[in-house]
Amino acid sequence: MAETQQESGGSGDSFDLTQFYQIFFEEAGENLDLMEQMLLNLNLETADDEELNGIFRCAHSVKGGAATFGFSDVAELTHQMESLLDRLRRHELQPNALMVDVLLESADASRSLLARHQAGETGEPPSSADLVRRISELASGTTPSQAAPAPVAQPVPAVVPPPTGLSVKGERQLEIRMGPLERPAQADAVKELFRDITGLGEIVDMPSDRADTRVFKVGTSSSNEDLLDLFAFHVSREHVAIRDLGEAVGVGVAPQPGHAAMSFADDPPPGTPIAPAPGFGFFEGAPGAPEAVKVTAEGAEPKGSAKVVARPNAAHQVQPEAATIRVAINKVDQLINLVGELVITQAMLAQNSRSLDPAVYQQLLTGLADLDRNTRDLQESVMSIRMIPMSIVFSRFPRMLRDLASKLGKKVDFVTQGEATELDKGLVEKITDPLTHLVRNSCDHGIEMPEDRIKAGKPETGTITLSAAHQGGSIVIEVRDDGRGLSREKILKKARERGLDVSDQMSDADVWQLIFAPGFSTADVVTDVSGRGVGMDVVKRNIAALNGTVEIDSSEGYGMRVSVRLPLTLAIMDGMSVGVGEEVYILPLSSVVESFQVKDEAVNTVGQGSRLVKVRDEYMPVIELEKVFQVPRFDFEKSSDIMVVVEAEGSRVALLVDELLGQQQVVVKNLETNYRKVPNVSGATILGDGKVALILDTSALVRRSRH
Amino acid sequence: MPVILAVDDSPSMRKMVSFTLTGAGYQVVEAVDGQDAYEKAQTQSFDLVLTDQNMPRLDGLGLTRKLREHPQFKTTPILMLTTESSDLMKQAGRTAGATGWLVKPFDPARLLDVIQKVIK
Repeated sequence: MAETQQESGGSGDSFDLTQFYQIFFEEAGENLDLMEQMLLNLNLETADDEELNGIFRCAHSVKGGAATFGFSDVAELTHQMESLLDRLRRHELQPNALMVDVLLESADASRSLLARHQAGETGEPPSSADLVRRISELASGTTPSQAAPAPVAQPVPAVVPPPTGLSVKGERQLEIRMGPLERPAQADAVKELFRDITGLGEIVDMPSDRADTRVFKVGTSSSNEDLLDLFAFHVSREHVAIRDLGEAVGVGVAPQPGHAAMSFADDPPPGTPIAPAPGFGFFEGAPGAPEAVKVTAEGAEPKGSAKVVARPNAAHQVQPEAATIRVAINKVDQLINLVGELVITQAMLAQNSRSLDPAVYQQLLTGLADLDRNTRDLQESVMSIRMIPMSIVFSRFPRMLRDLASKLGKKVDFVTQGEATELDKGLVEKITDPLTHLVRNSCDHGIEMPEDRIKAGKPETGTITLSAAHQGGSIVIEVRDDGRGLSREKILKKARERGLDVSDQMSDADVWQLIFAPGFSTADVVTDVSGRGVGMDVVKRNIAALNGTVEIDSSEGYGMRVSVRLPLTLAIMDGMSVGVGEEVYILPLSSVVESFQVKDEAVNTVGQGSRLVKVRDEYMPVIELEKVFQVPRFDFEKSSDIMVVVEAEGSRVALLVDELLGQQQVVVKNLETNYRKVPNVSGATILGDGKVALILDTSALVRRSRH
Repeated sequence: MPVILAVDDSPSMRKMVSFTLTGAGYQVVEAVDGQDAYEKAQTQSFDLVLTDQNMPRLDGLGLTRKLREHPQFKTTPILMLTTESSDLMKQAGRTAGATGWLVKPFDPARLLDVIQKVIK
């Protein structure tokens, strides 16, 4: 060990902290999420120590890390949060809704500050000064004002004067300036001294004219020398300036003269020259303490320190949290990609082996069968790595609903079911926005005002349920509410106003589908939450883009249920392969409605070569894939005479193809990353025989038919 | 090679402490909280314990008190690594039997320096 120490004489400055940033960002994010969750579950009247301690610890951990890694803005904000939470867990203050609000806001602000650091953004950070001020006002037991006070008119310190004895004889009013400081937050530790040492006096924040300087107003009966000694633990002496403001008038809690600084008997005697705070110390005579130690004050430049060299670390112990590991998503994607290739190779082998004589190649064929099974298992296991539980999405809703319900003056209970249901990470990210929209809609339009609910004979508090469950190869996510439901009449009326083709005979299911029409909203009042007429069509389009479907079920007066069905992953898709000339194309099975052989007379030509086909009573545009993709044709005997009806974005079109080749699962390859964007194509796959087939973008084809 | 038990509930702090110490040639055993540390101390002896204060299940002071009850840890240096620099905290640390304290955020070089002062 000694050798290692002597290898270099570098200082700690060369130690690269950035390698720990990522793990800190993740950890801080988790702590802030956990804190938010605990704050939301906090019952203000019955909050117990364990809950308050847990919340405190979250803020505390984030602060500690932020300070260590030099994110001073985050450290400062979380320090304020910690101070408030500390008073709460000590039961010096009773938690209230205002505090929860400010803490939630601060958690958000911390997140965005961290995100800025993570993205490496420089420049002026968003100011959290207002939050800091509001928290510290709450922590001092006063009601926060809404806007930041103008610096010119700083009010008298916000401390309630005691009913008797405005000040104690001998107490002085001081203005104490600390600065310039590298980390102004270190001056805040001084405030803790006043809190921790009974009788030291009162300290109040004052506005400062410089960012690196803190100004406090202090009422105390301790001498300047004692104060300087005390402060020296946090702020070095030469950075502290004390100005006497004279005898105290109207300062808060009466100090007990004589007790000031007494509890610091262990620390250096007053009068000794104090170097910058050492930040560590040993207890004299304590087990293991170096002999004859005083508080060692070597200052900020320790001598003979080791330059830390990264080296393989064989002695490293297995960590308790080894149950999970963090892996970069691109590594997982790489793995999925490779397994995809393996599946294709395996399929090719299987196809080629069919012509082999089983009697001669029995061993080879058995091996191939094993390979087939193992490949499938491997693929499933690898896919499951990307699967994350729906709770990641669900957990954001309690907060959102709480804010929303209080804004709208409604009472809403939020229930989640099946949070453990797993879904591909990519899908989880993409489904979040549509779900947010649906949940908002339920709260805004579904759930009635409390008084209306009582009138309707319902419980005052509405319930919104979000559930997720696996059904076959899909996941079904439902948003249910017990609100007013959809009104058939209103929707039909609105549809007529908008010139949509509707009739009173339409089935409920068809009527509900109308709300997915672009710009359709039946909301009586346009709120800033939802109801501007954009929404459900976007929801449906986004879900369709994930090869998913949306269904609505509703009963007027009783509520509404929106079911979203999604494939479990975007990497594998159920496809229908169709042949056009020599080419094979894949259609997403979720968009295929039906297929049939068409007779020439069923197709009508209208306008500039556009063709329509009549299917039962519905006319729909015909798209000839042969023309769209300019497929060369060698065999003129054959022609496209099979129609596949596909639905996307609420419209149907009929695709004209030569033949239907079958249904199969295909591994989706991104064309854009490997080649470039191709119109009307959403991706590609490799077929069992090694040929590449394009996967058609049915939405693009539908849009194309509209022009 | 001296073995150090590093106790912190924050993975990033733990990682950083561990990296700093292993880089300087110490062997490091990590514990996620006081309880975990206490359990590890039942099966292995350490040349130094470096512990955070505020942790779930068992905090740094509690860990210090419990370790001092063991003959094996009577004289082992225990350093409290903490963000709480207040006097009360130091008093409590002393009463619990800690050897000394080091305030977070700390400089890795300083950590090594302090450890060198106490480790045998």
